[in-house]
Amino acid sequence: MSQLTFQEAVIQGISEEMERDERIFHLGQDIGPIYNGAMHSAKGLGAKFGPRRIIQTPISESAMVGAGIGAALAGRRPIVQLMFAEFLGLGLTPLACDAAAMWYKSDGTVSVPLVIRVLYGAGPHRGHSEDYQAWVASVPGIKVAMPSCPRDAKGLMKAALRDNNPVVFFEHMALYHGARQEVPEEDYVVPLGEAEIKSEGSDVTIVATALMAQQALKAAEQLRGEGISAEVVDPRSIVPMDIETVRRSVAKTRRLVVVSESWKTGDPLSDLTASIAEDLAGNAPLKIARVGLQNTPRPFAMPLARAAMPNVQTITEAVRRITESS
Amino acid sequence: MTPDANLLTSLYHLVAKGRVLESLLGKLPGFHPGVGEEGVVVGAFFGLKDSDYIAPHYRGALLAAHMRGADLRRLIAGVLGKVTSYSRGRVRGDICLPLQFNTLGMFSGVLGNPLNISTGIALAASLDGKQGVVVTSFGEGTSNLGAFHESLNLAACLALPIVYICQNNGYAMSTRTDYALKCASVADRAQGYGMPGIRVEGNDVVAMHQAVQSAVARARAGEGPTLIDAVTYRISGHYSADPNDYQPKDERASWLKKDPLLLLKARLQAQGVMTEAQLNEIEKAAEAEITQAIAEAQADPDPGLEVLGPDDLYSPVLERVA
Repeated sequence: MSQLTFQEAVIQGISEEMERDERIFHLGQDIGPIYNGAMHSAKGLGAKFGPRRIIQTPISESAMVGAGIGAALAGRRPIVQLMFAEFLGLGLTPLACDAAAMWYKSDGTVSVPLVIRVLYGAGPHRGHSEDYQAWVASVPGIKVAMPSCPRDAKGLMKAALRDNNPVVFFEHMALYHGARQEVPEEDYVVPLGEAEIKSEGSDVTIVATALMAQQALKAAEQLRGEGISAEVVDPRSIVPMDIETVRRSVAKTRRLVVVSESWKTGDPLSDLTASIAEDLAGNAPLKIARVGLQNTPRPFAMPLARAAMPNVQTITEAVRRITESS
Repeated sequence: MTPDANLLTSLYHLVAKGRVLESLLGKLPGFHPGVGEEGVVVGAFFGLKDSDYIAPHYRGALLAAHMRGADLRRLIAGVLGKVTSYSRGRVRGDICLPLQFNTLGMFSGVLGNPLNISTGIALAASLDGKQGVVVTSFGEGTSNLGAFHESLNLAACLALPIVYICQNNGYAMSTRTDYALKCASVADRAQGYGMPGIRVEGNDVVAMHQAVQSAVARARAGEGPTLIDAVTYRISGHYSADPNDYQPKDERASWLKKDPLLLLKARLQAQGVMTEAQLNEIEKAAEAEITQAIAEAQADPDPGLEVLGPDDLYSPVLERVA
């Protein structure tokens, strides 16, 4: 075991897989040994693997995504780093309209083993924080990973690189150079589509990913002091969504709070909430609350940005709202 | 360079077949026929290795896929959404092609995506280091998309083995090339990317073939991409039901005289390669073959609902670690 940051864990996962599999190469802007990627997101990879496997590109997201898809079709297993989730839109048509559909539309003859990396999330950066997970999660055929800690980040990255489908991998900037965690040195993966119960509880289920999962754990700690037992479920991948684990938890607690750094409008967790309601609402009373980003563009000034975002306080308030009244 | 009789004969077989295919399929609803543009298609994709990849423009896509070995009846079944098609009816087969023939089609209706994606296939070919090349074609309308700019620039930066062919038929739907492009030729744009740009009379299938082959040789030798502006004319409407009444009569009349099939026939006769009777014989054989393929495809069954495959969203295989 070694103590790694989120960023170190992601890179270790990539590095291990690149050593195992010659077909993997990494495409991106400024990812070579001079700059090592935005926020050091490719640190050491250029020096280790050289310019034939760590390939720098001009600022051309649409061509970069397309190039990743094409190389995947021709037998490679590319990683394309788009720097920030904001830039996903620039490469969305080849990814969402073409790559996502290829397996199904080709009747199972064409697969696209491609990992797209993006940084996002409110944190140290004064920009580029927008969480555009809904853009990619709303199209069938794209997997979406949103890890909340170094161990999951490495395991999910290794799973993504062994998957035969397009995977968009979200790397949260507030977690990136944050807390270290014990990360196994032996080979392991965290399968896409497998939630983890990060904290057990019996009164209410809180579902959250990435930074919000960390906030939910803090909220659960605080609530425990008030005599409320919260179970925190981290889906770890938004697509595929492990509805079964959430369903089992909510069947027990009958109370569900979903917390998202994204807007509630079009939020994939709102979709999860609807599915849970569909499955469980008929059996007995079911209480639901959603916590998300204020439904406006993200404000800039720090006090505004903080107030627009969900946090420990808004999570605990939502939990109290659906526990006190019953 | 004088092309030999065998080459001319092979090209003629394909252009004649293309003409019948585009004319007959143009009678089906919603088809985007390429009558008059067969010279570009045949010239672009003839003479490649099986291991090379192509990504043809949607106009003429079936002819291109057939040239790569795809079965005509199954391709046409794809246009009709029949279960005998390569996708069993899951994708529109008029624009999406079977990749098992190293032929990339459109998995959506978004122009420019195949340009990006074929550039990635060229990147893989470059990494493989086996002298493989990619030949892709697209309309002049698509050359106004960001995807065109990004792809060509990226291919130039990485010296990728790819040939970009603009099938310039004068019209993007109803928008004329002289309205939407202010350079004299699409080939002029190549200068901005630091690659050769060549303008070719696309209706001269021999000139077209020779231009593409020299660009292919350049790509194979590791010297990077080339842009070819293949000038042709859209005799068909944009799609089957388009009255195409916006093409000026005199313009159309002058291009009809430069029909690629007529030009090639005249050349074959002038060089004494074939007589008019022999040429007509080949056209008749093509017509019979394609008429039969259409009839068979039309008689093929629609897909059963088992093809819906609601759980068939992902490739299930997790890659085994070596």
